[in-house]
Amino acid sequence: MNAPRQGARLSATPLRFRFDGRVYTGQVGDTAASALLAAGVRAMGRSVKCRRLRGVMTAGPEEPNALFTVGTAPAVVPNVPATQLKLTDGMVLETQNRWPTLRFDLTSVLQLGSAYFGAGFYYKTFLLPKWHFWEGMIRRLAGLGKAPGRCDLPAPSLEHSHCDVLVAGAGPAGLAAALAAARNGARVVLAEREPLVGGELEFEQAQIQGRTSAAWTAAALLELARLGARVLTDTTLVAGSTGEMVLHTEPAGMPGAARVIKLRPRALVVATGAVERMIAFVDNDRPGVFLLGAAERYWVRYGVAVARRAVLFANHDRVYVAAGRLAAAGITIAAIVDTRASGALSAEAQRVATALMAMGTECLAGSAILAAQGRVRVTGATVASLSAPGARRVIACDALLVSGGWGPAIHAALQEGGSKRYADALGAFVATDAPDWRATAGSADGAMELAGVLHSGVAAGVAAAAHAGHRGAMAATPAASGDPAPQLQPFWRSPADETEEKRQFVDPQNDVSVADLRTTLAEGFIDIEHVKRYTALGFGTDQAKFGGQLGAAIVAQLRNEPVPAVGTTKLRPPFHPVTVRSIIGHRSGARLRPARVTPLHEWHVAQGAVMEAMGLWMRPRYYRANGNNATDAGIVEAGRVRTKGGIVDGSTLGKIEVVGPDAAAFLDQLYLTKASTIKVGRSKYMVNLREDGMVLDDGIVLRLSAERFLLTVSTGHTEHMVSHFEHYRETEWASSALTLTDVTDAWAVIVVAGPECRAVLASLLGNAWAETLARLRHMDFATGQHEEHDLTVLRASFSGELAFELHCRPAIAMALWASLVGAGLAPYGLEALDILRLEKGYLVSSELNGQTTPYDLCMDGMVALGNPCVGRDLLDRPAFHEPHRPRLVGLRATDGHSPFLGGAQLTEDAVTAVPAGYVTSSAYSPALGEWIGLALVSREVAEGGVLYVRDPLRGGDTTVKVVSPVHYDPKSDRMKS
Amino acid sequence: MPRYSALALLRARFQGARYWKPLWTGRTLKAAYDVVVVGAGGHGLATAFHLARDHGLKVAVLERRLVGYGNVGRNTTILRSNYLLPENHYFYEDSLRRWETLSRDLNYNVMYSPRGVVDLCLSDGDMITASRRGNAMRLAGIDSELMELDALERFAPELAPRRSRRFPIVGALVQRRGGTARHDAVAWGYARGATALGVDIIEDCEVQGLCTEAGVATGVETSKGLVRANRVVFATAGHTGMVGAMLGVPLPIETHLLQAMVTEPIKPLINSVLIYVHPGHGETYVLQSDRGGVVMGGYLDGFPSYTREGQWHRLEEVVQGAADLLPEIGGLRILRQWAGTNDMTMDGSPIMDRVKYDNVFLNAGWCYGGFKTIPASGAACATLVATGLAPDIARGFRLSRFATGHLLDERGGGPFPVRL
Amino acid sequence: MSRLICPFCGPRELREFEFHKTLPNAGDTPFERVYLRVDSLTHSVEHWQHIQGCRAWLHVERNPSTGAVLVMRLATAPGVA
Repeated sequence: MNAPRQGARLSATPLRFRFDGRVYTGQVGDTAASALLAAGVRAMGRSVKCRRLRGVMTAGPEEPNALFTVGTAPAVVPNVPATQLKLTDGMVLETQNRWPTLRFDLTSVLQLGSAYFGAGFYYKTFLLPKWHFWEGMIRRLAGLGKAPGRCDLPAPSLEHSHCDVLVAGAGPAGLAAALAAARNGARVVLAEREPLVGGELEFEQAQIQGRTSAAWTAAALLELARLGARVLTDTTLVAGSTGEMVLHTEPAGMPGAARVIKLRPRALVVATGAVERMIAFVDNDRPGVFLLGAAERYWVRYGVAVARRAVLFANHDRVYVAAGRLAAAGITIAAIVDTRASGALSAEAQRVATALMAMGTECLAGSAILAAQGRVRVTGATVASLSAPGARRVIACDALLVSGGWGPAIHAALQEGGSKRYADALGAFVATDAPDWRATAGSADGAMELAGVLHSGVAAGVAAAAHAGHRGAMAATPAASGDPAPQLQPFWRSPADETEEKRQFVDPQNDVSVADLRTTLAEGFIDIEHVKRYTALGFGTDQAKFGGQLGAAIVAQLRNEPVPAVGTTKLRPPFHPVTVRSIIGHRSGARLRPARVTPLHEWHVAQGAVMEAMGLWMRPRYYRANGNNATDAGIVEAGRVRTKGGIVDGSTLGKIEVVGPDAAAFLDQLYLTKASTIKVGRSKYMVNLREDGMVLDDGIVLRLSAERFLLTVSTGHTEHMVSHFEHYRETEWASSALTLTDVTDAWAVIVVAGPECRAVLASLLGNAWAETLARLRHMDFATGQHEEHDLTVLRASFSGELAFELHCRPAIAMALWASLVGAGLAPYGLEALDILRLEKGYLVSSELNGQTTPYDLCMDGMVALGNPCVGRDLLDRPAFHEPHRPRLVGLRATDGHSPFLGGAQLTEDAVTAVPAGYVTSSAYSPALGEWIGLALVSREVAEGGVLYVRDPLRGGDTTVKVVSPVHYDPKSDRMKS
Repeated sequence: MPRYSALALLRARFQGARYWKPLWTGRTLKAAYDVVVVGAGGHGLATAFHLARDHGLKVAVLERRLVGYGNVGRNTTILRSNYLLPENHYFYEDSLRRWETLSRDLNYNVMYSPRGVVDLCLSDGDMITASRRGNAMRLAGIDSELMELDALERFAPELAPRRSRRFPIVGALVQRRGGTARHDAVAWGYARGATALGVDIIEDCEVQGLCTEAGVATGVETSKGLVRANRVVFATAGHTGMVGAMLGVPLPIETHLLQAMVTEPIKPLINSVLIYVHPGHGETYVLQSDRGGVVMGGYLDGFPSYTREGQWHRLEEVVQGAADLLPEIGGLRILRQWAGTNDMTMDGSPIMDRVKYDNVFLNAGWCYGGFKTIPASGAACATLVATGLAPDIARGFRLSRFATGHLLDERGGGPFPVRL
Repeated sequence: MSRLICPFCGPRELREFEFHKTLPNAGDTPFERVYLRVDSLTHSVEHWQHIQGCRAWLHVERNPSTGAVLVMRLATAPGVA
């Protein structure tokens, strides 16, 4: 075994991992890409559309090709960039888009069709017999990795915090910015995507303030720590705007953050660096074609030489210093192919070039690589002078290291204001017009020489600190010398025959080639946004970071227009892909939303209640002891209420107290009937209208004293109703003297109903209450004490039986409930409640559905009282009085026994398609021994007669009689007894 | 323009990119038209297509920016006709039928995929509400099925409907013919089809005013000069409010933002369109595009906006809802978030009617559901414009209905576009 | 605009607030007040509530094209009744 590699990120400790079934060895600190490259592996995937064999090209998250599926089914994570993934011992990796194996891939038959798979080919074919016929096959071929069967990623921790200045990116610019801001007194957070700070300083052999870049970086970190700045590595700014920046810490390089930070900085410095660009030449996607910077990173960080003998291809001076460093690493530099004419070189670049030539390197000016040689891996480069591209020759090599310049990473600098500007010297767009809370620094701002980078960092840091309220002097920029100015001359694609253009790749992940761009333009998709949509340029996992600028520039060339005239596509959030699991955080499973429970919840559960959600509330639907399903149990429970009595937990009922001298007048405006006419100690059933006249809610209003009311509102509707009341209190009637308080949780409600309930209550509450209970008329209430706690007893009924609502403090609710149960009153649930209210024709949300006026619900009498409330004016619209408007009616099966269900449509005959109405709710009535229902039917048929129940979804068509909505005890003798 | 087919691809293989011709670009603006359609989105293009094809009129489509750059290219591509009200469901069903043959009608593959739309029910009450709607559809001859858990498990096994969830699934209303289409293709297909019929589609041409004489519109002022027209149709979606301001006509419309998001592509995971609405959490719909990305959307961002920048906390809520449905997607990554502006009417249903002048028409108010109606909207609006009379299926979409009370409020939400 | 400044609570995240409605600007009849809007690309006057905070009702003026908040104050208006 070889000696362990040395690298900035590596320890000597070996680890083993499995890649496409074979075991490989890496070292702790390796990424999947570095370990595989070290093991001599070049092929790491296939492209989606053309199934071309691909290798890793980059050393960053913009990697288009080497995406792996990590883990073993079903808990796999697909599409993980090998360049980011940090290996752990025993990790299992698989390549994607091949079957059965990467090298022997039967789906590569698609390559044969690649001549036809140009841009937009989908739109032109698969017309017969129909797309859906082909879709299944195409979907299986499309997509990158396999769909996971399970997600085992842990939830991240979530932190909310504040700071003055957030600096995104800890390269030289970010470090300088952070230092400058912190020195001026700002609280700084410095976030770096990579595990180590330093950025380009890692391999740029620079001098800063007379120190090596490594020493300067270490000193900067020490000083930042001393100034209280927080430095976060492995942490990416993924999204955010002025109010909140979202940072994800992903130390594993795997999707799924270990920590999510929601940071509220006062100012932001974007120092996110720049992404190196590819150049389009024929077969520039072959395994063995790398970006130049990636080759340097693999050597410095991981001790991996990606080549033994390389040809370098670039359009700037930096390629020479990089070549010098790579040569020092032991890579033979066969040739440097420079697209610029001879004489373009700076003195320093010329010095390195001369030294390399002495070692046998060919330096070809005004030349280009026209094509890569080799299918499975690069074996050579076809080069030619740009002035005579016909005279080609092949230089043997095992890797092509390409650099077409750099595109500033300005994604985070374009949100919420800010635009981009084309910088000719870079052949790239930089951010401009930043709002005052944001600055851009370093290569993200287009600065390419270290001195300029540091200067822009300091300036941005000082400005950001000042915006955050920490004004200070502009510190001196540290003196620095690093790599020479690039002297870049934009160069986007090498000459090629039109027939070869389909192998000049621009965005390899989606197989977008120059030929696709040409076709797209020929079809009139001229605007870059159209080009993007038609070709899928920039739709990949790198979101245009790899090929977006290159594609746009080639479009400009093909259109014979300058690059800025074409622009680039709009960059959309997030700035960096965000793992779903990290977004979910703890909001999954039972914690997706909180559950609201009543003080009696645990008792219900212990007694075998089947709970049902109503909004966020949990309520007992029925008790298992009474039946195996809701229908059976409901019949038992409801029947028992009518014969003897029962209790139900009504605590979820919304309760709002309105107090003040103007309370009565205020409520008069918000209810269809007047609250001011209610006498103290009395209550009234009232409804609210929405602004458009539809019934909004209903409930009982209690007048506790002259200036004090208790409103009850529907369960699950409380928050909305509180806001509704508050809105009018704070706007239209803002001068009213009153307070509004949601007291829902302050009172538990136990409803005691049934013929025996008064006697049971009287014995239970004692003599003090017995007299009161006897005195209370229907809709009277009394307040007092029970067991030294407040108790309100309201005689009101939603069951049609004699009933009392006990509003008690939660502290005594359980004891009171238990004693009622002990006294022989059995609990009933929502199902029984629904049967009982239906028998009496009382309304619930099925009828109060936001589509019904008070007229529809037979509340004409209430409207006729003429109270000018909210919503009243719009009730006079003509459509609300037309014969087709619905009207609430009762239904009974004509045969006296057939069931019919809520949601069934009603028609006038058995065949018509025109509904006359629908069943809002139905139930089997134990009191009547048959199915009953409520319905909203056209007024034309509401007076009586027979309707057809049409329920094709569930079957069970039958006929029903239209009857009064009050099915049981129409004179309410029982309730008033 | 070459007709599209496998044979055409073969020819292009040998003749190169020049074999293909521009779909719509290169036309010049003329001085006068029978009809000027403002807005080259789905509705404008489809209207122009039908005006030319069905009524033989000379038509221009004037577009401020680019063909298909608005909501037609920003939506989540869901097609369905599972509406409650007869004024809606006959219209949406007409549209769904047109989708079934649209690729062949346009000779352009819009990738209609009838994969089924699953409206999940989270309580027995939901099942009743869904039944009301499904039964109304069935009476109208529209396919709809109510599925309890066993049937749903067979239809959408990826959903594992019995899995423990915060809001347990109890069933679903399923429309099998519902599904998806490729959104951009619809704009491009109609643009190509209309151009072939002689329609001039002019991009970068902003309409700045309406020219009138004696109470009749005579044309439009544009950034490229004056254009005369016998009739003018506004199909400007999220900018309809601005049309109202331009005409001096207040409209029952507010402009709101709706966002969507997509993960990286994966092999098939989700085979239908899953829709989930819970009063305690909000709305989430999830589907997988043919390319493989998991596409998610929810309800409006919640306040009037023209920014087209979705709020991150709304994205979080939508993704949380989606992951409650399909926890498997936890390891995928959101690549892209985008947003569109929606012309939300005060009852949630569209407006297809004259506005202010006898020869000026509004094809608007499609809220967040306009994509699915493009084929029917184009045909119906063309009939209205050409004959002066809307077809029966679109008669409910009158502008006057808000004043008369003939509201088409599917949700019962009232005049509050943001309330779910 | 992911942060709003509540007159009581100071800068708070947008998610704490809830938009309620655009204020009537198309006339004073009940129908006009409830249903009609005159849209503007640059100016929208609205009522919001600091629903997950102090519950204050707020008068908010915004630029809907940029999200910029131009005015944010208590909604308290003179009595109408």
